[in-house]
Amino acid sequence: MDFYIGLLQVIGVHTLLGLSAWCILHTGQVSLAQGGFFAIGAYTAGMLTAMAGWSLGPSLFIAALIASLIAIAIGFPALRVKGLMLVVATTAFAEIVRLVFFNLKWQVQTPNGPIGPDGGLGFGGIRYFPANAWSGLEILTLIWCLVAGVMSVLWLLDRSRIGTLWRAVGEDEVAAQSAGINLTAAKVSAFGIGGAIAGLAGGIFSHNTTHIEHGNFTILLATFAIAYPIIGGLKSLLGTLIAVIFIQGFLIEGLRFLGDWRSLLFGAMILAIMLIRPTGLLSAPLRLPLFNSKKNAPIGNAKTGAHHA
Amino acid sequence: MLKVENLARYFGGIKAVDGIDFDIRRGEILGLIGPNGSGKSTTVNLIAGLYAPTTGRVIFEGQDIQKLLPHERANLGIARTFQNIRLFGQLSVWQNLWAARVVRETGWSGLKQRWFSTATQGKLETEAYLEFCGLEHKRDQLAANLAFGEQRRLELARAAISGAPLLLLDEPAAGMNSEEIDDLDQRIRKLRDQGKTILLIEHHMELVMGVCDRVVVLNFGRKIAEGKPEEVQQDAQVQAAYLGSDSDDAFMQAALQA
Amino acid sequence: MAWIDFLDLVQSLMDGVMFGATYALIGIGFTLIFGVMHKINLSYAAASVGAAYLSLLIVSVAPTPLVYLLAAVCGGLLGALIYFVCFKFLPLNQALATLMSTVGMLLVLEEAIVHATAGMPQNYPALFADKVFNLGPFIVRGDLLFVFGLGCAVMVGLKFMLEKTRLGLATRAVAQQPIAAQICGMSVDQTNASTFVIAGLLGGTAGAMTGAAIGVLSPLLTLPLTVKGLVVTVIGGLGSIPGAILAGLIVGGAESLFQFVRGVSERDIYVMLMLFVFLVFRPNGLFAAPGGRD
Repeated sequence: MDFYIGLLQVIGVHTLLGLSAWCILHTGQVSLAQGGFFAIGAYTAGMLTAMAGWSLGPSLFIAALIASLIAIAIGFPALRVKGLMLVVATTAFAEIVRLVFFNLKWQVQTPNGPIGPDGGLGFGGIRYFPANAWSGLEILTLIWCLVAGVMSVLWLLDRSRIGTLWRAVGEDEVAAQSAGINLTAAKVSAFGIGGAIAGLAGGIFSHNTTHIEHGNFTILLATFAIAYPIIGGLKSLLGTLIAVIFIQGFLIEGLRFLGDWRSLLFGAMILAIMLIRPTGLLSAPLRLPLFNSKKNAPIGNAKTGAHHA
Repeated sequence: MLKVENLARYFGGIKAVDGIDFDIRRGEILGLIGPNGSGKSTTVNLIAGLYAPTTGRVIFEGQDIQKLLPHERANLGIARTFQNIRLFGQLSVWQNLWAARVVRETGWSGLKQRWFSTATQGKLETEAYLEFCGLEHKRDQLAANLAFGEQRRLELARAAISGAPLLLLDEPAAGMNSEEIDDLDQRIRKLRDQGKTILLIEHHMELVMGVCDRVVVLNFGRKIAEGKPEEVQQDAQVQAAYLGSDSDDAFMQAALQA
Repeated sequence: MAWIDFLDLVQSLMDGVMFGATYALIGIGFTLIFGVMHKINLSYAAASVGAAYLSLLIVSVAPTPLVYLLAAVCGGLLGALIYFVCFKFLPLNQALATLMSTVGMLLVLEEAIVHATAGMPQNYPALFADKVFNLGPFIVRGDLLFVFGLGCAVMVGLKFMLEKTRLGLATRAVAQQPIAAQICGMSVDQTNASTFVIAGLLGGTAGAMTGAAIGVLSPLLTLPLTVKGLVVTVIGGLGSIPGAILAGLIVGGAESLFQFVRGVSERDIYVMLMLFVFLVFRPNGLFAAPGGRD
């Protein structure tokens, strides 16, 4: 039973991560920085509760806020570039964050011994949950309430004017700016909101696992973050959730049946999904690109699929 | 309303636009014509802000708009359509119009907005423009799935709904049959009756001569003629540019002296 | 700083620049694929390391140069495989899908390496490891010099191929105007496939050289190599091969420099910061690929 609670907790945290990537992917930007914001949230929230004795609510809030502010700060220069360069810029940012935490040593003395990030050894002793006697089920409820909350906010956003403008920017930047949409504002706001969500997810993560270290926050995590919305289908929030369940369930449950080979098959599975359903699991009707690509390959712009005369 | 002064744009060695001057008067429909490669689309891109000029200025309502980004120019009052249609393909017809409309009263792309007050006004206008382009029955269809003519109409409506007083139409009739061109003629007149000023770039001579008040002719990035449609039609240099002339020398002379 | 420290600084700078030839090759590979397909192949560095691993199959029976050759050949084969699996069938306008498929490929390759070697680092043969030249007060390691030289030779060969052969012409034509190229009778599919093969050959060589320069191959190499390769591609300018070469050498040198000054654990922070500085001041890279009118 505990195992399943743990699995559901992980799925919840990863769903938040996927939702944060969903925001920025909506404006057409591919960002591998979510892992970095996740890390910032994780360390910040951990430091606030374990080292400064704050309670969980404010810590999570501040963690999300700081992650969001940093996202906005680096969003301005980073979002001036597009495509591959943005991928690299965000990758570089995420690596910088990881390396900074790898080198960060800052401990305070508590009655239980020194607590704080200890460079490569990580940051242990984030014991807010056990210290306050939260049960696994209560943690699970918290996580999923947050997931539901974030999803509702994003759903409302998507249906609002902001969502339409975000999508317009994602569809065709030239047309969007000619229609009067401020590209930078749209992209940076999506980035900032995504950063806040990732920071929140990170804060929960660090409390759930009680010990974090730089190796938790590699580029691979960021890749997972964007994998969820892409595989789930960008139009649908629910798709992201399903993708997380599918992927994490496979990875963790699959350990039982496939043993060591699960990671290999995992990569192959992603490949297969992309080949069969390039627009994601929860989107347009089934169409096998293997048979369609020659006939239907649209002529013209790769990003928008628009027709060029 | 809009003045172009000594505008030039070079791409490496290519002088796409080589020092042109003209102005667009309020309420008029000005045609911009010229053979292929004469710099018409580049001029539109320069006015819209997608390219920065190598030299020269663009002055809109008395203000030099050099430093303004494309979206700022759109908000200031210059809207445009594209030669190769650029719609928001995965958005519905309604959403395409709504996006362009909604931007008018929101700052920062939606984050600063009056949440309740003007939504209904915007929706009414969107409905009106849906009717304008005749697509009410297709309002929820994805823009990418529309027929070519419908896409053109939608793009025109999207430019119009922005409320901009100046519309730059970049070859809106390209690929249309004569019925559709008549339809386009009617729409352009309707827009002018609503008080808009229009710069029309076109190849279809009947459309240009029929609907434009004045015409500017470009060739090799330079202005070679300007005036009423009938005057321009008679101009020897214009004829030489389009049709060639008796001797090649005369043709080159005409182009170089423009 | 004492004179001896300064000498050490220059020494490590030199070593870094020579090692940078490997980064340059990976950067060229990324840029080649991007220039032709306008897509990123994130599995490229993993394929390069994988090719080097494959070449280990003959290490006990063949002289070292043949091992390198096999690495290059395997790289080419893996390149064709990646093209076939990830790119050929996906509709081109699904940029995100191709990106994800290359990620899937990256995971498959990396796990395959881990499985095949049980995660243990493998020794990789180096040439001229025992030869050392003296250049004034500096020491030039023979193996590094060879790595550098081989890299340069490969780059020259690539330039020759691109500019003087029909395949090179086809590659450049397809990169610029795929539809027009088809009308002229070039098979876009074949050209793209051959670009991947060529990039794969480069990558296999780079993988071999990385192994030779470091002395061991390990699956832990793939992610840092991917990141560094992408950094090189971006600094050099997307689609620009001379840019990737120059950027590779710069990154190699800078990496050594930062390591010398701040130690190995902080080194990459500064390399990334350097990338950010480039992005702010020269977002198109050192040599942007020539753009035309829209």
